Amino acid sequence: MEIRINHLTKTFPGNPKKNIPDTTAVNDFNIVVPDGTLLGLLGPSGCGKSTTLYMISGLKQPTEGEIWFGDEDVTHLAPEKRGIGLVFQNYALYPHMTVYDNVKFPLTNLNVKRTKKAQKTIDALTILDLLEHNLDEIVKMEQESVYNNKISKSAFARKMVFRFHIVTSLANTIFSYGLSRVEGDEREAKLSEAKAKLNAAIAAEKEALEKKGFSINDKYEVLDANGATIEENRKLTKDEIDALVQETARLVQIDQYLERKPSELSGGQQQRVAIARALVKKPRVLLLDEPLSNLDARLRLQTREEIRRIQRETGITTVFVTHDQEEAMSISDKIVVMRQGIKMQEDAPQEVYRNPNSLFVAKFLGNPPINVFKGSIKKGTLYIGEEKICKNKAFKEDKDVYVGIRPEGFLCDEHTKEEDKVLSLDVQAIQTMGRDMSLVCDSACKDGDALIKIIIDSEIKVGVGVNKFAIRPTKMFVFDGKSEERIYLED
Amino acid sequence: MIMENVIETKNLQNESYKDVVLVMRDEHQSAEEKDRASKISHIIAMTFTYIFLAVLAVIMVFPFYWMIITSLKSGTEIKQLVPTFWPMTMRWDNYARAFAQLNFLVLMRNTLIVGIFSTLGTLLTTIFAAFAFARLDFKGKDFIFTLLLGTMMIPGEMMVISNYISVSLLGMTGGTNVIGAYGAMILPFMISVFYIYLLRQTFRQIPNELYLAAKVDGKSDWEFLWKVMVPLAKPTLTTILILKLMGSWNAYVWPQLIATGNPDLYLITVGLRETFSTAGDLDAYGAQMAATVIVTVPLLLVFIFCRKYIMRGVSRAGIKG
Amino acid sequence: MESKNNWKAWLYLAPALILLSVFTFFPIINTVIVSFTKDYDVIDASFSGFTFDNYIDILTPIHNANGNDGTAFESVMLIGLPNTLLLTFITVPISIILSLIIAICLNSIKFFKKIFQTIFFMPYVTNAIAIGMVFSVIFDTKYGLMNFLFGTPGFPWIYQNLTTGATVNYWSALFAICFYIIWHSLPYKILIFLGGLQNIDAQYYDAAKIDGAGRFKTALRVTVPLLSPQILYIMITSFIGAFKEYNSVIGLFGASGGSFDKTTGPRTMQTIVFYIYEKMGENGAGGAGLASAAAVVLFIIIMAFTIVQRKVSKSRVHY
Repeated sequence: MEIRINHLTKTFPGNPKKNIPDTTAVNDFNIVVPDGTLLGLLGPSGCGKSTTLYMISGLKQPTEGEIWFGDEDVTHLAPEKRGIGLVFQNYALYPHMTVYDNVKFPLTNLNVKRTKKAQKTIDALTILDLLEHNLDEIVKMEQESVYNNKISKSAFARKMVFRFHIVTSLANTIFSYGLSRVEGDEREAKLSEAKAKLNAAIAAEKEALEKKGFSINDKYEVLDANGATIEENRKLTKDEIDALVQETARLVQIDQYLERKPSELSGGQQQRVAIARALVKKPRVLLLDEPLSNLDARLRLQTREEIRRIQRETGITTVFVTHDQEEAMSISDKIVVMRQGIKMQEDAPQEVYRNPNSLFVAKFLGNPPINVFKGSIKKGTLYIGEEKICKNKAFKEDKDVYVGIRPEGFLCDEHTKEEDKVLSLDVQAIQTMGRDMSLVCDSACKDGDALIKIIIDSEIKVGVGVNKFAIRPTKMFVFDGKSEERIYLED
Repeated sequence: MIMENVIETKNLQNESYKDVVLVMRDEHQSAEEKDRASKISHIIAMTFTYIFLAVLAVIMVFPFYWMIITSLKSGTEIKQLVPTFWPMTMRWDNYARAFAQLNFLVLMRNTLIVGIFSTLGTLLTTIFAAFAFARLDFKGKDFIFTLLLGTMMIPGEMMVISNYISVSLLGMTGGTNVIGAYGAMILPFMISVFYIYLLRQTFRQIPNELYLAAKVDGKSDWEFLWKVMVPLAKPTLTTILILKLMGSWNAYVWPQLIATGNPDLYLITVGLRETFSTAGDLDAYGAQMAATVIVTVPLLLVFIFCRKYIMRGVSRAGIKG
Repeated sequence: MESKNNWKAWLYLAPALILLSVFTFFPIINTVIVSFTKDYDVIDASFSGFTFDNYIDILTPIHNANGNDGTAFESVMLIGLPNTLLLTFITVPISIILSLIIAICLNSIKFFKKIFQTIFFMPYVTNAIAIGMVFSVIFDTKYGLMNFLFGTPGFPWIYQNLTTGATVNYWSALFAICFYIIWHSLPYKILIFLGGLQNIDAQYYDAAKIDGAGRFKTALRVTVPLLSPQILYIMITSFIGAFKEYNSVIGLFGASGGSFDKTTGPRTMQTIVFYIYEKMGENGAGGAGLASAAAVVLFIIIMAFTIVQRKVSKSRVHY
């Protein structure tokens, strides 16, 4: 489902009595999110990203603008009618329900559209098939499902569902045959008895349908008197619900915890349950609000890969909000950097990194952050302090500029030509970190108080004190001193 | 996390579910229709809610209304078979009669004496005890506290009988010993486990650092209690004060037991009930209702002005329960 | 330092503990003792011996030599206990459900919230007896408003119709007092539930919206379960309170406790507590002993109920 947002604006009215001005949280935001892509809304706190997300969800109403899901204008539609899934920052799992019930809850408010099927026949045939081909495995599973010294129906059911992807009621039926609890001839007898019952059920359903003038085709769909399939639009059956919940649980890997309550789960597990609850209704749009911010560092890496995997497998258009640029960069198809309600840049993550369009974006992405120098353009030449850096046709007017150089953008190895070494920096500390070396430097032209950080290969010989460095052109960005917009160099 | 190799199993059943398409119950409608539907249902729901609340509110308020207008009706008007909803004539003399019959001043005096002293007493004992439980450490603290909580479960009736016996033995009841009678009405109510519990919770919320800082400054516990904790706990103390005074005003059972036979010792509610037990004598109804108005209105006034304290205190107590 | 604390703490506790010992701890024990005495005289605390008679009188229809002619059994077990049980099992569920609905409604409206809250809370601050008298006027046989509204002139709700001689229907009297008790008990419950509702994180409502749950479903599946601690608390306190119902009987029916025959007649609407206080007033014939026994019985019943309720709710209440 493609999302289109036009001129989305959200202003909060101020209070003139208390001298509080109007605040604009989101200002004329436009974007098209193609179907099936994962979009990251990135920015510092207060930049309007969460507000935007909540407007997409319908929990907040925009002051101006439109939101379209495909060709449906959902701008003023109530959230429960938009068909979205939302993963809250604090998960908002219903504490009094088990995980299973939490995930099931959205399904109780939906209908299902299917062709009418001879479901009992299908179920019976499935069981027969399993008994035919997997009997030994089933018996073994039953014997291993011991809990408190008794064979547990629920443990067995869980194993069966996990292994064979059937619904729980089928597993319960198989359990009721008690095949592992008897041996040899007795088991054969029980088996035949079960098979007979199943075949009887098949016959019974066929008879019942034929009485009504229906017939069954080879896909086990029910045909009416004219031979056409019957479309149903009804509430979901228990089995259908079970199938969907189990499928989603498998996808998110929480099928082991379905009987537990949220308070018994860890943060990472709770989050997966929240994701499952959002996904189970196969929404057309999935929204995540800072999904990783409540997890510890180790879990964060794992979980963000999970999110990407799930998104790829389901192909649902997804928008997520984060303030962590690494997170956004690693899993998004596209990033939108926001600042004070305004979209600063929208592009693939690598592009935004390689080609920031403003000082803010350049500073926001990258770890360690980009080094910023105060420079100037005089007569077509770029200067940092007194040092001439380069000439370029794009340097048309004389003005003050910011020069951003990525930590990995400095060169001073033996292959660097002397005439390329244009920038002097006072190296104050050298930290070796295995493969790389990090130099902490000072410069009179640095912008702000943060020291310059350089990352180079640890084999390079550098001494403390003033050194001259060459600059990789792809790692240097020039920004207008006033507007902070990027000045693109021309070839 | 070792993931078992989940074999993507196909079987007839899960294949058959592949065509499951989930739809919302109104998916056939356009966005505008859905929007309108949800707005309409919202309006309907709100309308019903307001009507429901309004009807119930009227039922809630109605007895008060009836009380006031009946108090202003003449005896004959009350006796009409078809009751009127507004008095035909305002019989303010009902009030005069009520005042006279009630011996209002005596009742007020008694109620105020009992009320003020028992409230002050409660405040003091509660402050001390709550302080001990909240801030001081001593052997058996938990045990005693649990014991106290246990007594809250016991119906008051069990204690009333015995207390009555005790105070009779001490000669504090009956008509003659006036000071004793007051004492009997005040003393048992100078303590309340419930308020100790409530105040302790409030005291506990005052950060411990303040206490330690005061200790470092060389302040004694006593000073700390009165200069820091009590002022900080003012809202709760105010609630206790108001609720206790209201309790004294409404008290019936115990004062009636103590003061049986001596109308000079009646508290206001007792006086009301005793003076007007001729329910059914409709001429007196007017005055009787006037009397109930007199008894009820002060409470309502207190409520209207101190509503925040009362409601907050009561609800906070309940949440802890 | 510690021992000093000990001593000081006890000093602080002293006033409270002394009062409690005299007026709470001691009475509990004493009441139990008195319940086993014969001919207890309240004035001089004398009694003529120990006996089970008080309990026998109350719990069985056996007549005994303690001067009782079996009316104790009638009063308590045949009238008092059934009345109390009826009152409790009628008023408690109705008032809890009604107050829950009202609280949820109040929580969902935007305008007039404060006004409604004030109105709904008013009955709490008033005197049960005083307002009970108002209700008795409304339910009056000859001139009461109820008869007018229902077009049933002369219908004896709570007082016998002196002209026609029609005696009061027990059920109408029960209706009257249940109505009154519910009316009086709603405010406290509404307040507690409102407090609980305000503590529910708004995110759950948002999540329910996204999950497609309508207003009604959200209230049933999300709001009410999240209120379960408050509901349990109210259930227990309501039961206990209803069991001890006394003031409303006095207020509505007067000191006669619903004796429908104006002059004599059994106390038809009395509750257990009513019986207790009545017996206490009778100082001869070991009234105090009977009252104490009844109080102990009351206590045991309440204890039993509370324990059962707590056990039953263990699985359903979520914190």
